[in-house]
Amino acid sequence: MTTQPIVREFEADLKVVAAVEAATDVVTLTLAAEDGTALPPWTPGAHIDLVLGEDLVRQYSLCGSPADTGQYRVGVLRAPDSRGGSKAVHAELHEGATVRVRGPRNHFPLVASPRYLFIAGGIGITPMLPMIAEAEASGADWRLVYGGRSRSSMAFVDELAAYGDKVTLLPQDEAGFPDLDALLGSPAEGTLVYTCGPTGLLDAVEERCNASWPAGSLHLERFSAKAPTSDEQDSAFELVLQRSGLTLEVPADKSIFEVCREAGVSVVGSCLEGVCGTCETEVVEGDVEHRDSILNEEEKESNEFMMICVSRCRGESLTLDL
Amino acid sequence: MRDRSTGHPRNAWYALAASAEVGSTPLGTRALGTPVVLYRAGDGSVVALGDRDAHRPYPLSLGHVDGDTIVSGYSGFAYDRTGACVRVPSQAQVPYGARVPSYPVVEEGDLVWVWLGEPSLAALRPPVSTPWLTDAGWDTFGGAWETAAGIGLLHDNFADITHVAVVDPVISPPALTGVAPALEVELTETTVHFHRDWPAAPLPEWQAKISGASTTASYPQREEGAFLAPGLWADRWDVFIPADEGGTQTFRFTHAVTPVDDHRTRHLWRVSRNFAPGAEASDVLRPIFESYYLKVREILETMQQVIDRDGYGEDVNVAADLAALQVRKILRRLVADEG
Repeated sequence: MTTQPIVREFEADLKVVAAVEAATDVVTLTLAAEDGTALPPWTPGAHIDLVLGEDLVRQYSLCGSPADTGQYRVGVLRAPDSRGGSKAVHAELHEGATVRVRGPRNHFPLVASPRYLFIAGGIGITPMLPMIAEAEASGADWRLVYGGRSRSSMAFVDELAAYGDKVTLLPQDEAGFPDLDALLGSPAEGTLVYTCGPTGLLDAVEERCNASWPAGSLHLERFSAKAPTSDEQDSAFELVLQRSGLTLEVPADKSIFEVCREAGVSVVGSCLEGVCGTCETEVVEGDVEHRDSILNEEEKESNEFMMICVSRCRGESLTLDL
Repeated sequence: MRDRSTGHPRNAWYALAASAEVGSTPLGTRALGTPVVLYRAGDGSVVALGDRDAHRPYPLSLGHVDGDTIVSGYSGFAYDRTGACVRVPSQAQVPYGARVPSYPVVEEGDLVWVWLGEPSLAALRPPVSTPWLTDAGWDTFGGAWETAAGIGLLHDNFADITHVAVVDPVISPPALTGVAPALEVELTETTVHFHRDWPAAPLPEWQAKISGASTTASYPQREEGAFLAPGLWADRWDVFIPADEGGTQTFRFTHAVTPVDDHRTRHLWRVSRNFAPGAEASDVLRPIFESYYLKVREILETMQQVIDRDGYGEDVNVAADLAALQVRKILRRLVADEG
C-alpha cells in the first residue's frame, strides 16, 4: 500500500451565469456553482485556471469582489496571437455553458501599505479592480494609471469612474504611452507599486523600480513567461526529496516536476512554464537556478522557494521539502 | 532556514466566545494581545469594544450594560456600540473625541466571531458558515478553554490525526491502528482540505453502544480535515454503515482557535453528530472527547515549554505532514501581506 500523499488543487465545473462584452474584444464571465454553493475564498490578486481543453489551461485574475462568495468574475481579452485559450473562451463560454475551474491561488497578493501606485496595461486591469477596492476601503492613498490601445478597448472604465481623479486613463491613441519616468523616476517613500499588463510595460516598470526604488516596492504579475535570460545548456543533477526519503536523478532533458511525477511523488502544477506559481516548493539545500517569472530578485536570492516546473539546480545536488 | 513559527494574521475572524456566554452582563476577554469586552445590546446584537475605559485604566467589563451602552464601573463614562463616549457623570459636555476601539462582530453557528485587524477588510472577508452547529439535524456539545501554547502548535495538531491512536488508544477508532492510507490534500488560496479513506474496521465500542450499531461488523470509514480560515478547523469522521443497518454515522469536529497572545490560544471545540440524538448519548460522549482534548492540550503545552526553553528545532517532517506544511505556507503569506 502506498502512503505517499496526493495533493491537488480545488477543481469544480462552474456555470457561466453571465458573459458580457466589457470592451472591444474583452468579455467578462461570471461563474457560479450549479447548486449555488459558496466558492473557495480568495484575496485581491488571486487568479483561477480555466481548463478549456486537454493541454489548454489558462490563468485569469479574479476581478469581482472577495466578499461575494457565490461567484467568480474574470475578464478575458481575445488575444490576436492567442495560442487558443482566449479564442476558446470567446467562442465557447456563453451564458449557460460549463467550464472546469481550478484554484484559486495568489502570487500577486496586496501587501498592506499606506500608499499604492497601480499601473495597468490593457487587460492587466483585472487584478487591480479588487486591489483598488481594498486600498480604497482601508483609506490608503492610491493612484491608478491605466493605459490601453484606445478608449473602446479599455474594460471596466465605468466602474473606475466612481474613483474620480485617483484614476488616470491613458488611451494610447489619444494620450500616448504612460510617462513611466515621471511616475517612477524618483522613489516615493512608503509606496508600493503594483503592475500588470503587456510584457513591454512590465519590463519597463521593473527596470525603473530596480534602478532606484527600495527592494520589495515592486509587485508585478506576468501572464506570459519572461524571455529566458541565459542560453546555458541544461545539465543533469541529483534530486533529494527529504520528506519522501527519495533520491532521484534529473536528466538534462527533464524538469524536476516531470521527474517527481514519474517517481510517483504527488506534486501540483498547472502552467508548467513558470508563470502561475502552483508548483512552488520549499528548498532545503542546493543552489537553485531560477527561471520562473514569479519570484522577484530578493526571493530568488533567499533560495527558500523555487518553481519546479522550469527552475533547475546550478550544482550537483538539490534537496527539496517534498 | 527560516523561523519555524508562522505567527498569525490579525486580519481574520476569530471566535471570542460562545453566543450563550454573551448577554447583558459584560464579558471581558483577550485576543491578539488586545483586551475586548463583549455584551449584548438592547436589540440582541453583540457589541465588541476595547476593554479599557478611556478615562482610567479600568476594564469596561467590570461595569454594566445600560440599553445599547456600556458604563464604566469606575468613571461612569458610557460608551455606545461604536465605542464613542456618549455620557459622563461629571459634566454636561462629553469630552471631545473620547472613545474606545470598536470591532466588527458576527454571530455564526453558536459562536461570536470578532475581527480585530484592519476594520475595513472585515466586510471583504466574510466569515465561514458553520450551519451544522445550530442545525436541528445535528446534536452538538462542546467546551472551551485556554491552551498555554501558540496557535501554530494547535494548527499542526489538527492537520494530522494519525497521532490520535498514540495519544489515546482507548478512544481511538480501531481503523486508526492500521497503516495510514494515502493522504489526499486539496488546496485553494487560503484553505486546505484533506481526507483519507480507511479500510473497513469496526466502530469503537463506545460508538457502537450509543448508536445501537454492531460492535463486530466492519465498515469503511473516511477521515476529513479542513483548515477553513486562520481561526477555524472543521473536521469530520464518517462511518459508512448501510442504510438497512442504520445508515452512515458522521461526527463533525469544529475547532475555533484564537490567539490570546503568542504563547496562549483559546480553543472552543464542538462535537456534532447525526446519530444517537439526545442528551443521554451526549452525556456519554462528552467525557470521552473532553478527556482526549485535554490530553492534547497537555501535550501541546509541553511542546510550547520545549520551544520556550530550547527554541524551534529542525523538525523532521514525514509524508503525513503535507497538510500541516500547506497550512503554514498559507499563514506565513497572510501574515506577510499585513506588511
